[in-house]
Amino acid sequence: MATITQILEEKALEVKNFEFTYAGADAPSIKKLDMPIAKNSITALIGPSGCGKTTLLRSFNRIHDLYPGNKYEGEILFKDRNILTPKEDLINLRIKIGMIFQKPTAFPMSIYDNVAYGMRLQGIKNKTELEGRVEKALTDAAIWKEVKDRLKHDANGLSGGQQQRLCIARAIAVEPEVLLFDEPTSALDPISTAGIEELVVELKEKVSIIIVTHNMQQAARVSDYTGFMYLGELIELGRTEEMFVTPREKLTEEYITGKFG
Amino acid sequence: MNLILDKIFAHTTKFIALGVLLIVAWIFTELFQQSLVSIQSSGFDFVTQTKWAPNLEKFGALPAIYGSVVSTFLAMVLAVPVAIGVAIFLSELAPAKLKSPVGVSIELLAAIPSVIYGMWGLFYFVPIIRDIVGGVGISMLSAGIVLSIMILPFMAAVTRDAMNTTPDILKESAYALGGTKWDVIKDVVMPYAKAGIIGSFILALGRAIGETMAVTFVMGNVHKISLDLTQPATSIPVTLANEFNEADTGIYYSSLFELSLLLLVISFTIISIAKFYFLRRKRLGA
Repeated sequence: MATITQILEEKALEVKNFEFTYAGADAPSIKKLDMPIAKNSITALIGPSGCGKTTLLRSFNRIHDLYPGNKYEGEILFKDRNILTPKEDLINLRIKIGMIFQKPTAFPMSIYDNVAYGMRLQGIKNKTELEGRVEKALTDAAIWKEVKDRLKHDANGLSGGQQQRLCIARAIAVEPEVLLFDEPTSALDPISTAGIEELVVELKEKVSIIIVTHNMQQAARVSDYTGFMYLGELIELGRTEEMFVTPREKLTEEYITGKFG
Repeated sequence: MNLILDKIFAHTTKFIALGVLLIVAWIFTELFQQSLVSIQSSGFDFVTQTKWAPNLEKFGALPAIYGSVVSTFLAMVLAVPVAIGVAIFLSELAPAKLKSPVGVSIELLAAIPSVIYGMWGLFYFVPIIRDIVGGVGISMLSAGIVLSIMILPFMAAVTRDAMNTTPDILKESAYALGGTKWDVIKDVVMPYAKAGIIGSFILALGRAIGETMAVTFVMGNVHKISLDLTQPATSIPVTLANEFNEADTGIYYSSLFELSLLLLVISFTIISIAKFYFLRRKRLGA
């Protein structure tokens, strides 16, 4: 059984008895997992490669559904409703639960159109509203000053770090309640990484954040809660400052002290 | 010893590669020299006059140029939307079980020799056209349709390949913002693959304009400019294929060479635009 610290805050998401099996796989990649996610906090998921942390993250917005044959079991509760049912409105779900990827993924369009994209998908056409919300999103993503004079330029002309902040701006522009970060700094240099980490911490005022990371220092720096996963199971979930100092599970201790990885 | 072998090998490959350049230059000079008689005697009339009467030594190539342009245009208009549709289906919509068998059959279609398209067109397709629109069946319209069927598989296959280069992570990003399949195809896949798609169209255009066998069967070799697409017509390659063995005078012979020079220049220009402008290795997203 996993060792799970009681979450004091309200919960943004709650994973209950969750199993995930990839198409064609014999065994589930995530087994009987229970996990609460605190609201307006940052929860980091750590663990060795193949432990299922990215698989779990990609279940929260059901991006797995793009590839046929994947199977969910159990429940993930979002606002007291199980989002794993077949009749869940995925478009609506993905507006509420946004995602940032391992690599910057600027669309082949201008900086402005990138940020406006999600809003336009929702049918927002009013120019004043779009402009206002684009500026706000870019400001909140700490990139407005750098791009305000070249909003019409191709977004692919930006540096990697800038593109990743642009992607964050694009995600927060649709005002999600949860943001999923899938190793968002793995393709970035240390300075850009520091910028993104700072930004993530600021964002928790407005959204609940789950971040998958390979970098334990990063988890320690930014997160409030840390979940350690191993072989498809959650081994331990605790307050970050406690877990890195006094892990309660032997496996957690061995992983964070670098005995395996 | 090995070093010497290396050198010999390097020089041999260099020689062969340069040989290709040499052949291109050779063809060009040969065509140009053979055309000289016609260029000197017809001048610009060659491309502006509509009367092609070898027995009167009148050589106006405009009907052939017109036929090449119109049949190619028809082929493109018919083939482009279908090719895009097939490519979208294969790269974004088809279930895995269908993707590979349909994809492979399209590549097989692209491998059918054009003379077979021509035979099939003449014996099975022309009669259908005749029944539907009247006329003799052998016509500009038949040529355009047979050409479009011929270039379609190539276009669809290359367009699909271009679309397949869109990184999954980029598509996932658009889905993660609440995009539907159509949104993602329209806003991410098509713009990302745009250069490759247009490049494939231009390459197909180059093939269509130079195509000989498929259209020779169904076009009619009639040197007349007619706006009625059901009338027989001719194109540059059709003229060349039909008339070389009839060319009994020097000027007739030379005029055909000028026609082929013209075709070569047009094809080179089209392919160059496709290669250098659209099919350059582009920056990789992210």
